[in-house]
Amino acid sequence: MTRTILLALLLPLAARAQIALFTVNNGAEAQIVDGASLNMGKVAAGDTVSVRIRVKNIGTSPANITYFFVDGLGYTLNRPSLPFPIVPGIPQDVLLSFSESTPAPLYPANLRITSDTNSSVSAFVTATVVVGPVLTVFPVCTGSNGPPASIDFGLVQAGQVRQCNFSLRNPGTQDMTIATFKVANVTGAAFQISMGPSAPFTIPAGGAITFVVNFTPNTATSYTGSLAIETRTYVLTGAGFDTPLPTPLIEFDSGFFESAQQRLLTMRLPTAASSSASGFVNLAFLPDTTLVTDDPAVVFLVTGTRSLPFSVTKGSTLISIGGQTSAAFQTGTTSGQIRFTLSGISTAGDATTTLTIPPLSISIETAAATRRTGDLDIQVTGFDNTYLAGVMTFTFSDLSGNTLPPIHADFTQDFRTFFTRTKAGSMFQVRVSFPVTGDPSGIGSVEVQLSNSAGVQTQHLNFQ
Amino acid sequence: MRPLLLIFCVAGTTAVYTYAQSAMEVPGIGAIVDSLGSLRPVQGVAGSFLLGPASVMGVLSAACSEQMCLVKTDSKILSATGETDAPTGPALFGMSGDEALVFFPKVRTFARWHNDVLDPLDWEIDGEILSIRATQIAVRKDSEVSVVSSDDATIDSITDASGPVLLLPKGVVFATSDEVVLRQDDAEVRFSLAGAESITAMGPRYAAIRAGDAIYALRTDPGREGLYRLPGSAP
Repeated sequence: MTRTILLALLLPLAARAQIALFTVNNGAEAQIVDGASLNMGKVAAGDTVSVRIRVKNIGTSPANITYFFVDGLGYTLNRPSLPFPIVPGIPQDVLLSFSESTPAPLYPANLRITSDTNSSVSAFVTATVVVGPVLTVFPVCTGSNGPPASIDFGLVQAGQVRQCNFSLRNPGTQDMTIATFKVANVTGAAFQISMGPSAPFTIPAGGAITFVVNFTPNTATSYTGSLAIETRTYVLTGAGFDTPLPTPLIEFDSGFFESAQQRLLTMRLPTAASSSASGFVNLAFLPDTTLVTDDPAVVFLVTGTRSLPFSVTKGSTLISIGGQTSAAFQTGTTSGQIRFTLSGISTAGDATTTLTIPPLSISIETAAATRRTGDLDIQVTGFDNTYLAGVMTFTFSDLSGNTLPPIHADFTQDFRTFFTRTKAGSMFQVRVSFPVTGDPSGIGSVEVQLSNSAGVQTQHLNFQ
Repeated sequence: MRPLLLIFCVAGTTAVYTYAQSAMEVPGIGAIVDSLGSLRPVQGVAGSFLLGPASVMGVLSAACSEQMCLVKTDSKILSATGETDAPTGPALFGMSGDEALVFFPKVRTFARWHNDVLDPLDWEIDGEILSIRATQIAVRKDSEVSVVSSDDATIDSITDASGPVLLLPKGVVFATSDEVVLRQDDAEVRFSLAGAESITAMGPRYAAIRAGDAIYALRTDPGREGLYRLPGSAP
């Protein structure tokens, strides 16, 4: 009997305790005890203050919330439609907000939640509406009432400072104490109050104070911060950008440029870089001939490509190319222009530099004359950067030095076909064979003349 | 190319016809082993080189002459005509016509390669074998580099050689700490290049020199010597 009575007394208590309310501030929960007071603090007239309320089922069985209201001027509760279930272990967050435009020391309300299991929690909610200070931001910064209220500092060169001037006015008829007055940064320390009073301070009725916030971006990126003044928090935004580099000077090792060279490219700045920067130096080839559109041998040697990264550090005039002080490149075997450009970086001017590779008479790398039974062979390796080779003259001599009449041959079409087919620049290895009758050992030498638009190249060869 | 119209006679017995034929190709320089262990053909002329696509993978050593290229993989020697089993590890090649002498450093044995056949040789040479040329071997003993015969008799010395050595048919290429030296025909040409790690026969007129991430081509034609960097040889 005694046991039955005890259980009967306990049941209503257990039922009432199934639902619990908490405030959530930056992830931290604080329970709202039934019958307790919840002070939402001071809010400037016209502003909105909100508190996140968490509903928990701390029992062991599901429940449905059948009543959940706040009754009071200026208060709203953003919650799911009633009824809504609440099960153990799965909380439900709602938002309690307050906003009024008339200053008054007390705005009361009752917050109450009830479940279908007869569990309920009530709280006495209060808020104060005060006359808020009026913040004015002067150009070049700009403000927005939001929400959220924000102030934009604009684009600022990395390393430079932008100062924004502000006025904070008390529009009321009583002195206003400012207890909260601070700037916070999400990352770094780009936003700083550089001039102004330190909290707490008082603004007389109808008076104003001025202050300055500096924005100093270190790098080319976006920055966010906040300016908290009493009940209001303003989002601060700004962005840094890199200064255009002084136009880099693209320079080369000394000497006349021509085909089949390996040359050095260096880069430097005429004045020190105001910030670190990086980009790419690229080369392109524009052949004089229309027979081909490119020369694949014109590349940077370190990678065999036509683009290399470069970088310069703040305060330096030296530009590192692929981690080195210079970059070697080939000039190929085609007359034309090698054009160097920069990409991926902002420069004050166009750094494009063009080298001219002039037409040359045929360059002979190796040449040999050999006898075979029934043939005389002449083999020449070289290049023709005009792509107009083909006319050849062969003047044979016997062992006594007596010359035969010159033999003219025109292989122009053969060369054109070869160049367009191989796409390897103008380099070639050609073997010209002459049928003979009788004993070829009587032929001692040959003078070979190779012609193109730039001249005639002559090579004397002894037969082996 | 042209119909026979004229015949020019020499000494009354030989006639050279004006009928000339031509054959053209991109000049080949030889081959190298790139940083990934792939055999890459090298084409071009001095100062303008093109690296061809990898043709053989897993290459430990390679050498080319006028007549042929030989490639050593871990356990075989490859040629244009076939392959033959060989001791594991890299190899040094001494090309001579259509034959080659081969040294296998891992097992310290010599052999003669011909027609895809490997005949062992019973040569025993003391010291670090650096290069082979016909029956001559460049060897380093006590920091001194000598050229010895197959019976280990000293023939010559290579002064100044502190790095790799390549014996040429009529000369030698070797490296000091900061130079590559080409000696042939009683002449010597020096090129500034620090850190040469290996020198191999790229082709009949060029030696391949590896230094760090780069591979260089040394032209050995007498009177037209030159040191060039090969494109795209960095990893």
